[in-house]
Amino acid sequence: MLLEVKDLKIYFYTKRGVVKAVDGVNLNVDKGEIVGLAGESGSGKSTIGYGIMRLVPYPGKIIEGQILFKGEDILKIDEETFRRNYRWKKIAMVFQGSMSGFTPVFKIKDQIIEVLKLHGWNGDYEERIKELFKMVNMDPVLADKYPHELSGGQKQRAFIAMALALNPELLIADEPTTALDVIVQQYIINLFKKLRKELGISIIFITHDLALLSEVTDRNYILYAGKIMESGPSEIIFKKPRHPYTQALIDSIATLDKDMIKGIPGTMPDLSNPPVGCRFNTRCPFAKDICFKEEPKMRMFSDGDEVACWLY
Amino acid sequence: MVMKLPAGSTNNYIVRVENLSVYFTKGGMFSKKILIKALDNVSLTIRNREILGVVGESGSGKTTLGRTTIGLQKPTYGNVYLNVDGKEINVAKAKFKEINKYVQMVYQDPYSSIDPIMRVYDVLAMPLRYRKETDIDRKIEDAMRLVELPLELLENRVFQLSGGQRQRLSIARAIIVNPRYIVADEPTTMLDASLKGEILKIIKDAREVKGITFMLITHELPLAKIISDRIVVLYLGKVVEIGKANEIIKNPLHPYTQALIDAYPRINPEMKDKLKEAKIKPDIERPEKGCIFAPRCPFAMPKCKEQEPSLKEVAPDHYVACWLY
Repeated sequence: MLLEVKDLKIYFYTKRGVVKAVDGVNLNVDKGEIVGLAGESGSGKSTIGYGIMRLVPYPGKIIEGQILFKGEDILKIDEETFRRNYRWKKIAMVFQGSMSGFTPVFKIKDQIIEVLKLHGWNGDYEERIKELFKMVNMDPVLADKYPHELSGGQKQRAFIAMALALNPELLIADEPTTALDVIVQQYIINLFKKLRKELGISIIFITHDLALLSEVTDRNYILYAGKIMESGPSEIIFKKPRHPYTQALIDSIATLDKDMIKGIPGTMPDLSNPPVGCRFNTRCPFAKDICFKEEPKMRMFSDGDEVACWLY
Repeated sequence: MVMKLPAGSTNNYIVRVENLSVYFTKGGMFSKKILIKALDNVSLTIRNREILGVVGESGSGKTTLGRTTIGLQKPTYGNVYLNVDGKEINVAKAKFKEINKYVQMVYQDPYSSIDPIMRVYDVLAMPLRYRKETDIDRKIEDAMRLVELPLELLENRVFQLSGGQRQRLSIARAIIVNPRYIVADEPTTMLDASLKGEILKIIKDAREVKGITFMLITHELPLAKIISDRIVVLYLGKVVEIGKANEIIKNPLHPYTQALIDAYPRINPEMKDKLKEAKIKPDIERPEKGCIFAPRCPFAMPKCKEQEPSLKEVAPDHYVACWLY
């Protein structure tokens, strides 16, 4: 197992109370696997990504749990060692809105060289940039441009190139396609598949777009209000999901073969005061007494699907 | 003299766009001035009581088209007419007060398009007071019911509402003055998938109950398909295809529309890894002459680089601008 997240809790200490953004999450990523992490906004999916990078923004804090990278708990390593040996070198992240993550005043090339320099890359910088740009299907000439001279899709690919600069083993991609049009989205998806095939890299793909996930992931985690509701192989999650939340989420996606889409009535609960029992109980059409009293535990099915729901 | 109407027209229209071009200039202070053709010679009509979906990628001119049809943007060339109360009003020449009783707009971002500290009641009462209307309370209640917002929220402040509730309020604010035509500019983009369906339903209800015509601007083709009667596909400021929504999805004619539809993800694990490489190049270059899509088109012929195709009726009520047909 490349990455094992065990019982991770990330709380935000705000003036209005403690927001339990991530509350006891377990998650595994194997070598060469593309894993999807999906949920509505506010479900905690980006926070998990930041947690694995140890970059949880203030006033958030990792308060409990383990993040094992190749068996070693990276939460126990001191910041300096983590920065030097892990962040960007072993685990890299393409941030949400990273298209605007480049400094406008330097050439793309110089910004990637800075990453290489800081992490003590031995080798020819120019050669490496050429290699990286080829990897993300871009003309290396574009490295010599300023960020504003590239289109959105080009900038996104350049950022992915920067994330790959030090040959990381795990890439966390947080909504990498959100602001792009569908044709460019398809390019990015195909690019991830190619990277996995050629580099054997593992990818955590964070998005709210389940239709997109269905095309690229091996396994998926469906997150709601800081907890995993269901996890399993793509064939199960998208074909016969068991959790009512996963079912509702899939029904609400607009695809070209649907004539109407349903919504999920209600809104996500306030995470500074989450409901007792199952966190989905306020919106669940099947909620029964026990759902308001006790929290359901993850139950594993023989087809590899895991569900936290009292219906099963 | 018989007036020549644009492609896809019937006499029962509410908006008529005639050879509309809108150009913007960029730069000039330190860099070379560039002319951006946001819309280039667009002609179309919007039929009474229809929901017209306008799709295209960012930069295709969707929002400019919507804004121009309600007078928020002046045309560089061409005209826009509003056909209401038995007369045709030239939108660009009319005073705003003359047309603003007929047209309204719903914006993309419900967080920045409504004053957050106003009370919900005042958000809805303000346009009615401005028009010196009576029976304000009843009209507010009707509008709240139509968008399915609980009446208890009337005393709340806007910042206390969720994103979905704010977008409902924004639609209520538009329909409360009984307009004939509403431009909804990406009304679902900022919302979670779980809320999009409900917003679409409200737009449909408003059309049924109040007979309002909608232009629904979106970059999400599936949403346009679900809600619209007809779809217009824009590419770099030009209409490349217009037709019945189902027809456009089932039988897309223009290579650009075909590529768009192919690129759409479907929830179907069997599709995985069978996905073909996208047929067309992702990077945009705008050609000087000929068909604007030619540089990316897999079927481009020599003629496409020389001459620009115009909209042609290929099937009943289905128009495409492409030399293949």
